[in-house]
Formats: sequence, C-alpha cells, structure tokens
Amino acid sequence: MKRQSVLLSVLLLLALLVSACTSAATPAATPTASPIVMTDGLGRTVTLAQPAQRVVSLAPSNTEILFAVGAGSQVVGRDNFSNYPPEALELPGLGDFMGFSIEQIVALNPDLVLLAEIHPPELVKSLEDAGLTVYYLKNPLAMEEMYPMLITVGELTGHKAEAEALVTQLSLRVAVVQQKLANIEERPTVFYEIDGTDPSKPWTTGSGTFIDTLLEMAKAENVGRAMDSQYGQMSIEALLAADPDFILLGDANFGVTPEQVAARPGWGELTAVKEGRVLPFNDDLASRPGPRLVDGLEELARLLHGVTLP
Amino acid sequence: MKGRTVHPIWIALAALLAALLLSMLVGSVSLSLVDMARVVAARLSGGEIGADLRVADTILFSLRLPRTALVALTGSALAVSGAAYQGLFRNPLADPYLIGVASGAGLGAVIVLSLRWGYDVAGLLAVPLASFSGAVLTVLMVVSLARVGRSLPVTNLLLAGVAVNSFAGALTSFLLLRSTGELRRAIAWLMGGSSMGGWQPVLAVLPYWLIGLGILMTMGHALNVMQFGDEQAQQLGLPVETTRWIIIGVSSLATAAAVSFTGIIGFVGLIVPHLLRLLVGGDYRRLLPLSLLGGAAFLLLADVLARIVMTPQELPVGIITALTGTPFFLWILRRSRSLPYWS
Amino acid sequence: MLEVLHLTVRYGAKPVLKDVSFRLADGEILAVIGPNGAGKSTLVRALSGILPPECGSIRYDGRDLCALSVQERARLIAVVPQARSLPAGFTAWQVVSLGRTPYLNWLGQLSPADEELIWEAMRRTDTQHLAHRLVGELSGGELQRLLLARAMVQATPVMLLDEPTTHLDLQYQIGLLNQMVEVVRQPIAGNGNGKAHQPAALVVLHDLYLVARYADRVLLLVDGCVQAYGTSAEVLRPQLLSEAFGIPLEVMRSPNGKYPLVVPLMA
Repeated sequence: MKRQSVLLSVLLLLALLVSACTSAATPAATPTASPIVMTDGLGRTVTLAQPAQRVVSLAPSNTEILFAVGAGSQVVGRDNFSNYPPEALELPGLGDFMGFSIEQIVALNPDLVLLAEIHPPELVKSLEDAGLTVYYLKNPLAMEEMYPMLITVGELTGHKAEAEALVTQLSLRVAVVQQKLANIEERPTVFYEIDGTDPSKPWTTGSGTFIDTLLEMAKAENVGRAMDSQYGQMSIEALLAADPDFILLGDANFGVTPEQVAARPGWGELTAVKEGRVLPFNDDLASRPGPRLVDGLEELARLLHGVTLP
Repeated sequence: MKGRTVHPIWIALAALLAALLLSMLVGSVSLSLVDMARVVAARLSGGEIGADLRVADTILFSLRLPRTALVALTGSALAVSGAAYQGLFRNPLADPYLIGVASGAGLGAVIVLSLRWGYDVAGLLAVPLASFSGAVLTVLMVVSLARVGRSLPVTNLLLAGVAVNSFAGALTSFLLLRSTGELRRAIAWLMGGSSMGGWQPVLAVLPYWLIGLGILMTMGHALNVMQFGDEQAQQLGLPVETTRWIIIGVSSLATAAAVSFTGIIGFVGLIVPHLLRLLVGGDYRRLLPLSLLGGAAFLLLADVLARIVMTPQELPVGIITALTGTPFFLWILRRSRSLPYWS
Repeated sequence: MLEVLHLTVRYGAKPVLKDVSFRLADGEILAVIGPNGAGKSTLVRALSGILPPECGSIRYDGRDLCALSVQERARLIAVVPQARSLPAGFTAWQVVSLGRTPYLNWLGQLSPADEELIWEAMRRTDTQHLAHRLVGELSGGELQRLLLARAMVQATPVMLLDEPTTHLDLQYQIGLLNQMVEVVRQPIAGNGNGKAHQPAALVVLHDLYLVARYADRVLLLVDGCVQAYGTSAEVLRPQLLSEAFGIPLEVMRSPNGKYPLVVPLMA
C-alpha cells in the first residue's frame, strides 16, 4: 500500500515535470478593431486588444482613479489598503506591500493589472511571467502631471471622455482655490506630522512629495523642507526652533488627536499647541496620487487660510 | 552499525516527494485535482489549453512549479552546508552563514536596492547578482583574514566570521536607515521573501547547486575523520587544510547562489542536520545525503505554511523557519543529556 | 629503519627540539623519557608531520618523510594519541575503522579485507565486545586500547605512542604495554604491499618504572636536547636521571633481578 502510493506520487511528479517542459498551445486571439497601445511609467509598451473589462488595482490611488473615471464596475480586485470609494471594499483584497497573492490575482482572470510607484520591479516581472498585462503608473511630480494619469486610466478602460471631463472639472476647482488665495499675503508655516509614535522625533516630509507640493500650492511653508530627504524625522528641538503656525496631524487616521499631542513632553511650548492650531488631516487626501489631491488642496486652503469653498 | 528495517534514505525520499506534491497542490487558490490532471494531460498531449483551464495552467506551471523547484534547491543547499559546517567546525551551533554568506548577500542586495535601479533586464538581475557577489566577497574577506600561510585555523575562521558579519550587518542597517524609499523592499528581501518568480532563478542557481552539492556529497568520510581533530585527522592521512578549503569554497558557492534569489532564510541549515542526527546518528556519509533530501522537504513545508497561514498575503518563508527555531532549541535543550554527538 | 638526524623544531622563535638524532630499527621499541616540557610530545608531532622541522631530516628506509604527501606519510607512521576528547557519537568499531583511511578512496569505502583487519585488531586488543558501543560510554582504558587497535589497522612500519599510559589504572597500563609489545613482535597482516615485517614503536612514557621492562632502547630528552640515548642499562643511571628530573632518584634491581627500577629517593 505504501509502495503503491509512493509510486503514484513519483509518476504524478514526473508527469508534472515533463509537462512543464512542453509548451501549452493557447487559442489564437480574435483580432479586434483598434488595439490600445500605450507606454507605461517604466517605459514598457502595453497593448490591449480592447478596453480592459477586468481590472485589478494594486494601489489605493489607482482604485480611486478607476472609480473616479467611471470604471468602477470593471474593477475585479484591489489591494488590502484600497478603501475609497466605499464600494471598493466589496472587492476581494489581494494582499499589500508585504506580498500579493499572485495566484489569487491570476484566478480572477484580469485583462489588466494596474500598478503604482510603490511596487517593486520584481512584482511587474512576476505578474508578466504569469501571463498578465501590467500597466505601471509613475508618480506625478505636480498637479499637472496627475491629470494625464486620469486620462491614461480612462483610455485603458474605455472611459476617456469621462476622464477628460473629470480633468476639466478638477482644473476648474484648482483654479478657484488659486484665485481665492491670490490676494492672501501671509504664508503660514506648517508642520505635517506623518507619524508621531516617537514624540521626540516625529516623522514628516521634505520637498518632492505630494504633501509638500500641496502645501506649496496652498501658500504654506513646509517646515519639513529643512530636511534633505523626502521622508525623515525632525527632532522636537528643531521643531521648537521652527515653531510652526500650524501642525497638521496626517496620522489622525490612526487615531492621533490634538489632545494627545498637547500632552506630549515639550510640545506644550509650541505656539500652535497653545493657540489650538493642531488640526487633524485626512492623509489619504494628500498621499494618494489621484483626483482627491484636489480635495486635499481645498481642505488645506480651508484649514490654513479660512477660505470658503463651494 | 544501527540496523534498520527501512533504510532512512527511502523515508527521506518519501518525505521529499510528499513535500513536493504538497507544494504543488497548495496555495492561496485551491485547485481541484481534476483540473490539475486535465491540465497535465492537455500539456502532455500537446493539445490546447482551454480558456477554463488557463488559470489552473498558469498557477501550476508558471507559479507553483518554478517556486517549488527553487525552494527545494535552496532548502537542500542550506541543510547540506549546515551539516558540513557543523562537522568542519565541530560545533553544534555552526550554520551556513557562519563565515559571511548571509551578511554579505544582504549587504550586496541592500546596496543595489538603495540605488534604485530601473525596470529592465539589468535592473532585475542587479539584486541577485549583487547579493551573490556580496556573499562571495565577504567569504573571501573572512578567509583571507583568518588564514595563516596556507592553513585555515578553525578558531580564526570563527572569529573573523563574527567580526565581518557584524561589520556587514552594521553597514546594512546604516544603508537601510538612509534609504527610506526602498526600506520595505529591502526588509522583505532580508526576511527571506524574494518575489522574483519564474524559471530564471532556478536556472541560475542550478549550476552552483550541482557543483557545490555534488562535491559536498563526497565529503562524508573526510568529515567523519575530522571529528577527531585536525592533528589526528592529518595523522590518519587526511589532507586537512585542502579539505577545509574545498568544503568552505563549494558550500559558499551553493548557499550564495541560493540566498541570492530567495533571500536570507535562517534555521534550515541549523535545525535539519540536528534533527537528522537524532534520527540516524552522526555518520556524515549518511547525514549529508539525508540533509539534502530533508532540507528540501523541510523548506518546502515551511513555504507551504508561509503561503496558507495568512492568505492572501504570503509571508516571507524566513519568518516561518525562524518561528520554528525557538521550540526546536527548547526541545534540543531538554534532550541534550542524551545528545551524544558533541563531546 | 627510522632515522632522525639533527632534528630542530621551533614554536615561533623558541626552539623546542634541538639537534635530536636517533635511530629506530624494525621490531625495536624505543622509550622516550624526560621531564615536563622536554619536548617529548613535540617529537611525536614532528615525526608524524604536524610540526615542520626547521632543520634536520626524518627518513624511513632512506625516504625523506617531509617530502611525502599527508597520505603517504600516514602509511608509514601511525600515532596512538592520548584518549582525550574523542567524539562521543562514534561506535568503537567506527573509531578503529578510521585507521584504514590512508588506504581508502575518498568516499571511505571499506573492503571485506579491511573489515577483517579491523576485527582482527579488535580481537588482539581485547575490544571486539565493545564494537557497537558508543565512545561516550567507554572507559579511558577501553578507549586507549581502541586507539591502539586503530594504529594497528593503519598497518604502518612505525608506530608512535604519546603517553598512552597516562590516566590509566595500573593494570590497564601494563595491559596496554603488553599489547603494544605483542603488536611489535607479531605484526598484524599487512596492508597489501606484502610486507609483514615487524613494525618499530616509539613510546613516550612518563612512568619510569615501566621503561626498562618494555623498551629495547631509551632516549632521554631534557629541554629539547638528547641527554642520553642507549639501552636501558646505559640510560637509566641515577646521576643522569637525578639531574634530568631535578630530584634525587635511585636505580635498583627488580625483584626478579632482570630490570633496573627507578625510584625516587625518600628523605
């Protein structure tokens, strides 16, 4: 009995090994009217026979963009952190930066996988090796670069017109904000806290990030620019020296409150704490390269300059 | 000699077969045996893979089979190297990373990761290439620090290994602190979870594996003799220094190649030889081939666990092996009174 | 015939053996005696190839041993070390079988003739009943006999024994030395090269009262130099020994009158 099952296992394994060496014949693809050919953020040429109907999005920003351009019903899978819009939560979560289940992605039979700059090149290769079509969206460096991302996703999913309309709408809103800020002279200094687990060395962002760009557009001085890296820790002493006008709690989504901040040793000396200008901020509005960046800009204008917006 | 009704080699082979099958059958997507059989049949007959089978085909042959092969190669390389080093250094705590393979591979990988190569052939190859080079260079450094003329005293090797390991580790930590952007990728790699799939890693590791393990398999008798110390071994006619150079050389090549693609997976090289010693004794002529089979089986099982324990997330397999380390050592401690292999 | 001429060995800058010369003929037993630090163990290590000589030569039948490979040298010289820190997981049989290493292929495969030789050696040293026992379970005396059997199996024309009687009870000391003598007088069947001639044995001894009974010739080493070399009668002389060991020693006749006995002079 034992011998038999061993023999069977050996045969099965041999069969697997041999068949691995043979190539599978795949059915010929039916030609379509006009294939979509684009170059993605890594310089790869991506070809789709028709607009993607089954999209897997592996970044929260991509998920937001997909729903914003009207392709929400075409999304079949998301990463674990995609949480906006709420409909996205109904989709199966496929993993996160610690690791994605390529098998489950394959099992969803997608015709497009949307990646963002937070993903390593190895992931691109793994997905390609599994026979999937991958499009990699590079991070925008300015608001103007975000708009083409929306158009791109619109093209990929057959919602180009909607995407263009969305872009027009977003540009209008940005113009409104900039016009309202045009007459304002003062530029308040802002400290944007990303993580305050160690209150003596909170994490913030320097120049070159979305948050920094938005702060700049909202006519604010990011005190984090004193650092020479994109993300880093600033000591409480440096913070006291800078004494910013506002402290924005980008970690409010994780439960950090202004009361907690006021209780931190040494923080009570900060002007912003004494005058009640420690404000929670929804970090998702400033860290995801997508349409909600405009929401983030509007929120900053409201919080920092008291601007009223429709 | 211990008499056994079933030669342990057959048991080990059976365990390996079971582990290989399990690795093919288990994953975050459950495939029915029927579908698997149909896919295999379709491939063997050269026919078309229907649309309904495409998912199963991709999962089996593009994802699971190459991964199974890579994991098996890595597990066996680590276990055999571990056994050989335990014999070479006559130390039960010896493992394949003693003289720098892991710290060097980690440093090489982190250096490249902090340079942020782009996505192209060179960029993807850069990490495994850099970690392989890092591993080999580090071992060379340890060896050149330790050698006295043409000989390689064991104590020197151990000390030089400790020194170089901590230095490389410190450099790695420093680089990790500086490159906040690639931090996640580097940490994931260091924990033993490289996400590079496909057959390329297997093909890259295979030549080093064949040479390294092929030679190590013949070292059983030499390792037995060396258990009596360098002096007695030489007096019995064994060229001790040459043997040591060979073992260190081929073992480093095999493990460096393996960890370059799978990341640093700990405890396999330590645990598997000990477990086998408890079962079949300390004769290296038996221990080495059994470590080959047992190491592959052990790592395959750990990999299966890594895939299903927190589905759909796949844990780096190094975490699973590390988690098995503590109970293992506690168990060994309890049994240490009856452990007759170390004087 | 083993010929050692003007052998000088250093540990770093310090000379441990200076200009040592002696001969060891086939079938002869040479006892090496001397106080601690005299260089007795160093001599064994130099002869077996562990320590390279600074100058001087070691020849067997005219062949320079230092020019030989490790394996060739191991077919000429076998060492019986002290039974200390032997790996506990080996069986007695396995320990003895390692003596065949110089004749085996790289994989260490034993032929039936090899196995017969191993059993024969174990019978001669009265250790065959221990064959499947683990080293960790055996006594010092049993282990020492195993090491003697291992050297027998190595079938070399020269055998070096480094203080084999240390740590042994008196009856085991006598037993071991008797077996050593027997090995020399009645060599075990050869290693395939046909010669079954009597091997020579050099034994480092601490216990002076055993020397005369077992040795044909005696070498007295003090501070690395040969202080005396000759028959037991020539070397075992009270003044010579007292000077060498730094305490007053007397040489008496054994009760049966055959051997000189060395005893310390009590106050």
